[in-house]
Amino acid sequence: MFMGVSAHTGSAPLSQMQVTEIDIRTDEELVEIVVGGEVDCFEELITRYQPRVFGMARKYFRNESDVEEVVQTIFTKTFQKLGSYKGTAPFEHWFMRLSVNTCYDALRRRRNRREHTISDMLFEDESWQDRLGNIPSDDDQEGLEQARELVHTVLDQVSDRARIVLTLQELEGHSVKEIAEITGWSESLVKVQAFRARKEMRASVERFLMKEKRL
Amino acid sequence: MEPYDVNEYRQMKANDTEQFLKLAKSVQNDERVPVNFSARTMTRVREQHTLETRSADEQFLKFVRNLPWKQHVPYAFEKRIMARIREFLTPDPLTVWSRMLWRAVAPCFGVMILAALFSAKEPTTAFIDQAAFDPAETTTETVDPESTDFETVMLASFDDLEYTW
Repeated sequence: MFMGVSAHTGSAPLSQMQVTEIDIRTDEELVEIVVGGEVDCFEELITRYQPRVFGMARKYFRNESDVEEVVQTIFTKTFQKLGSYKGTAPFEHWFMRLSVNTCYDALRRRRNRREHTISDMLFEDESWQDRLGNIPSDDDQEGLEQARELVHTVLDQVSDRARIVLTLQELEGHSVKEIAEITGWSESLVKVQAFRARKEMRASVERFLMKEKRL
Repeated sequence: MEPYDVNEYRQMKANDTEQFLKLAKSVQNDERVPVNFSARTMTRVREQHTLETRSADEQFLKFVRNLPWKQHVPYAFEKRIMARIREFLTPDPLTVWSRMLWRAVAPCFGVMILAALFSAKEPTTAFIDQAAFDPAETTTETVDPESTDFETVMLASFDDLEYTW
C-alpha cells in the first residue's frame, strides 16, 4: 500500500519529509511479503534502515570501503535469515541484533589490520586534552573527520567486546537491558563487560597522554 | 519465700519490653542539622565532579557522546544490494548441475553396494540343478550366473566397440 503524501517513518525530522510515494506498510508486513516470494519488497526495508546501519557501521570501522562491505553483508545476511524471523519481537530489534553481531564478527576478522598508531594521532598545534574539550562545529568537516579518527584510534586499542559495549553504551546511548537484548548476553555479563570496557578505555586514553608527555 | 513462677516472670518481662518500646516510640527524632552541612556536602560533591570530569577518560567519553556521526548513504546503495540478492536467487546452471551430481552420490553408492552384495551371493539351486542335467557344463568351478550376467550387461557397450574396431 502506498500513500501519495509522505508518512513519517523512522527518525527523520518532519522538515526532511519527502512528498513522494512512501510505503506505509509495517516492517513485519514487508517481511511477510518478502518471505512469501515478493523479493522486490526487500528494497523498501533496505531504504528504511540503511542510514541507521551506515551510521552504526561508521562507529566501528573507519574506512568507507569496510563500512560498505559490512553494511552489504548485514543486508544480505538479513535477507538469507528472513525466514527465521518469528515475529515475536519487533523486526527492528531482530535486525539491530543481527547488525551488531555482524559488526562484531567483522571486527574480529579485521583485528590485525590497524592502520593508525597512537603517535599518528598526536597533534602539533594543541594538546590532546585541549582537543577533547572542543567538538568541531558541523561546518568544519575536516575537524569532524579528525575527531572521528581520534575516537577510532582510541577504540582500536580496546578488545572487540569492549568496543561493542562502549559503542552501544556511550556512542549510541543504549541501556544495559537494551544491550543485553541486542548482544544476547545476560544483563550481569553486560555490566561486567561495561566495567572492563571502561577500564580498557581508561588505559588506552592514559597511553595517549603518556605518549604526549614524552614528546 | 514464695516459689519461683516462670510464667509470672515471663509476663513481667513482656510488660517491661512493651513499656520500653512505648517509651522508645515516644522519643522524637533529633532533626537538627549542623551549621553549613549542606554547603559543606555540596563542596565535596563539586570537588568530586570536577575531578571526574577533568579526568581524561571522562573527557573522552563526553567528547565521544557529543560527536556527530555521518549517516550518509552512498548513491543507489539499495539497488546494489538488490542486484546482489537477485544474483543469489538466479540459479547458476553449473552450480545446479554440480549440486545434482552431489545429490546423486549417495544413491549411486547405495546401488553399487547392493549390486556388489547381489553379485557376491551363492549360486542358486535352480542353476545347480540345470548344470547337473547339462553334461557339457559339468565343471568343478562354481560360477555365479547373476554376477556373470551383471558383468555381461555392464561390458556390453565395450564389447560392441570391440566388434566395431
